[in-house]
Amino acid sequence: MAEVKGITRKLKEIHEKIKAEIPWEPVGPTPMPEIPDLRNWDMRLLKTYAPFYAPFCDLCCFCTYGKCDLTETRRGACGIDIGTQQARWVLLACLMGCSAHSAHAGHILEFLIERHGPDKKIDLGGSINIEAPHIRTVVGLKPETLGDLVIAIEYVYKEITHLLDSTNMGQEGSCLDYESKALHAGMLDHVGMEVADIAQIVGFNYPTSVADTPLIDLGWAAVDKSKPVILFVGHNPATSTVVIDYLRENNLYDQVEVCGVCCTALETSRYSDRAKVVGPFSRQLFFIRSGIADVIMTDEQCIRTDMPIEASKAGSALIATLDKVMYGLEDASEMDTEGIVKQMVEDKKHFAILDPRKAAEVAAKVAMEIAPQRRKEWLTEEEAKELAKNCNVCGMCEQVCPNLFNIGAGIAEVAKGNFDLIREQFNLCVGCGKCEAECPRKIPIFKIMQVAASMESWKVRAGRGPIMDTEIRTVGAPITLGTIPGVVAIVGCSNFPDIRDIAEMVDEFAKRKYIVVVSGCSSMVAGMWKDADGKTVYEKYPPDFEGGGVVNVGSCVANSHITGAAIKIANIFAALPLRGNYEVMADYVLNRVGAVGVAWGAYSQKAASIATGCNRLGIPVILGPHSSKYRRLYLSRKEEDDWRVMDARKKEIVDTGEPSPEHLAYVCETKEKAMVMIPKLCIRKNDTPQGRAIKLNHYISLHKKYMGGGLPEDIQLFVRRDPDIPLVYKKEVRAYLQEIGWQPKEPVGLPTFIGTYPSKVPVDAVIH
Amino acid sequence: MSAVIPYHRVNVLTGLKSARLIEDAQEYADLIQKARRPLLILGPLLLKWSLDGKLLIEYALEIAKAANIPTCATAQVRAKMAELGVKPDSFYDVVEIINALKDPNWRGVKKEGNHDLVLFFGIRSDLGEQGLSVLKHFAPHLKTMTLCKYYFPHANYSLPNFRKDEQWKAFLESLIDNLKKGA
Ligand code: SF4
Ligand code: SF4
Ligand code: SF4
Repeated sequence: MAEVKGITRKLKEIHEKIKAEIPWEPVGPTPMPEIPDLRNWDMRLLKTYAPFYAPFCDLCCFCTYGKCDLTETRRGACGIDIGTQQARWVLLACLMGCSAHSAHAGHILEFLIERHGPDKKIDLGGSINIEAPHIRTVVGLKPETLGDLVIAIEYVYKEITHLLDSTNMGQEGSCLDYESKALHAGMLDHVGMEVADIAQIVGFNYPTSVADTPLIDLGWAAVDKSKPVILFVGHNPATSTVVIDYLRENNLYDQVEVCGVCCTALETSRYSDRAKVVGPFSRQLFFIRSGIADVIMTDEQCIRTDMPIEASKAGSALIATLDKVMYGLEDASEMDTEGIVKQMVEDKKHFAILDPRKAAEVAAKVAMEIAPQRRKEWLTEEEAKELAKNCNVCGMCEQVCPNLFNIGAGIAEVAKGNFDLIREQFNLCVGCGKCEAECPRKIPIFKIMQVAASMESWKVRAGRGPIMDTEIRTVGAPITLGTIPGVVAIVGCSNFPDIRDIAEMVDEFAKRKYIVVVSGCSSMVAGMWKDADGKTVYEKYPPDFEGGGVVNVGSCVANSHITGAAIKIANIFAALPLRGNYEVMADYVLNRVGAVGVAWGAYSQKAASIATGCNRLGIPVILGPHSSKYRRLYLSRKEEDDWRVMDARKKEIVDTGEPSPEHLAYVCETKEKAMVMIPKLCIRKNDTPQGRAIKLNHYISLHKKYMGGGLPEDIQLFVRRDPDIPLVYKKEVRAYLQEIGWQPKEPVGLPTFIGTYPSKVPVDAVIH
Repeated sequence: MSAVIPYHRVNVLTGLKSARLIEDAQEYADLIQKARRPLLILGPLLLKWSLDGKLLIEYALEIAKAANIPTCATAQVRAKMAELGVKPDSFYDVVEIINALKDPNWRGVKKEGNHDLVLFFGIRSDLGEQGLSVLKHFAPHLKTMTLCKYYFPHANYSLPNFRKDEQWKAFLESLIDNLKKGA
């Protein structure tokens, strides 16, 4: 009895927190879900998309029983096996990522509540009524004020603690349960990101309910180095926005150049379209070593951990502005401003300053004082050639390069006066600096590469935040029918096999009238290419969420708007209630929304958690080759696996034999393969014949383009009846189908997983 | 014997079981010929790398032919093979073929049963090493072998880090000769 009472009390508590009495929608079965609440959904996903583990280390060193060798069938002293250990790692990675976004959210929320008060209304403009699809779905709350966002983020914090607990020695013993927990962490991450970005939009007055945001100058050549330069590095715009305020208030904005690397750059350009975006993470060390920045201000995430050393080498001043990253520096938050400036200018001392107003003032003053004395010249080609002559082609640089290429060969060519190879290699370089650190001849590889790098500047569209409800209404039908062939979200970090792949992917799919959405470092890199008319993809394609549009949602935390758009399709277009109704939303997205994520350069734990959150929501993700080091994928085996779904209209289980979507987390080695997987992973069982024919048209034509002609060898699995075959390939496909003895099958009226596994959700809940 | 460090340091082994390093082409040929159902996985670097102007894919196809090994074309390898007029025995991307190989009951690319020796050739080394790790831990029913010019710790049999491309070329040519002789 006590237990029953306890559960009732808990539910009551949840209902109080989510203000259940406000009847904007009935509360669904899983408001504020805890670890077990969506486990059955996860297990259903994992049945078709089984975890595929690629152990990165054969040992475990988590506790003092270790190191334990887990090779093959061995178990650790605690009993864990190698697969479960990989799953534990994945959960840890997802928790790191989820914590990074959620702590960012918590920090920015606190900062903005301090500024505006907890009652500040959430208003995302006239075209956005469903302001927070994740918070509404997962938490069950309709947030109306900044204060309401605190309820959501506190729920996330609590869940993170429980999940982290499970990674301790002697806890979870099943890889599938660790996966379910990782999926939980991924889902929470999207809530955390949504909190962060809504708070920022409301608190900083970022553009919202508008598609046509300004075009921002991009690239280091866009930075005016004749002025004092302040560089922001990281993700959290608390300080960068205050610096801009300070410069404006003191009429200094014309005299000081403000720029950023990574997501803070994107955030800052949403606040002021005059701020320049230097580029992605992979350009961070290059830019720092160029010495162009007079003052570097770090906040959090994806910042070089050796920043004080690098800043000193470049003669730049450094201010660490957030508690997450203080580098062992003296905390000057309480010190007198003039004293700090003096020490920074005269003694070249770096400080942590956690008070944004003070940090802003110090940054502006220091930048203006030291800039005139600093030399900011690149090497000349002649100087680079001389320095390169010292290279004895020992190959050490190649051995340590994480992108596995021979920069030494490029250096050797420079020594002969030929910059062609190194110019090419610059596109492969992820900017880690390991080569230069390893070089026994101390060749300044970065400075030499920089000479070769393009001096072009480009444009990136400022992040626009959520997709508008009005846009969802227009594209909902064509997406679910398949006549818009898919939503391709090219997102995330810059560990690219080749930086040029991104713009090429964006161009290929925008041209084919997919909806292309970009975010984070990928959104910058998408802009680093121009067509024959000198236009970037942002100038070439409209900024709307429609077929053929290229939409930049913004920074990492804005990824929540991409997944949020998928939820909105279910809620706004299909009119399915979302409140506390995660399974129904995820099931709808998996079976009916042809969306695919492409995290081509994913490196961070944040990317692991964002991708895992997409997976729980039913969105497949394609990763680049480096991501095999994440240790886990979710793969099906198309010919062997169970492709049965419930036809909700007929209440019958149907064996479709159709692997759509085929995988949930997939690594491809090359851009060419990705170009073919993207259209394939947009196929959904819900496609109408017309929609399916359009999707197959792209699948076949991209296959022909990148795979040397011929039909995809699995095309028969995706043709249900003759009208599914695209007109242009009718003859060829029909002949092939006949040859292999293909038999037509009925399309499923209303495909769903609900009803195929134990769930509290009735099948009728998916019918709109 | 001290452990062999792979050429690309990102692939350094944190574990105890590492590949047997083999430099003798005859020994490699014997292992291949002893296998009942070998499989050759062809990676996209075979289209990029060449030795004295001869693309590596050509070496790979000679190996396949000499020992009658079925092939699996990953990534865009099939495009080049089409140009060369050769049809691969199967098309899977690298993670897909590894996923299938993991299953002892899989029927293999020839539908004659799962393979007992899997040769990796032309896959970027970090992805290749991760793939080999999957098979090392989860596919005790088969052995793996590599033909690229680096040492791969997670394989069962690996070539050394060849310091010079000539050494690698000599190895591959000798392997082809030995396979032809043995056939
Ligand atoms: S956590 Fe388990 S496997 Fe890891 S070191 Fe401790 S006992 Fe060994
Ligand atoms: S490590 Fe230095 S000396 Fe050796 S090849 Fe690379 S650049 Fe040249
Ligand atoms: S800085 Fe570039 S070239 Fe050097 S090791 Fe890193 S990725 Fe390779």
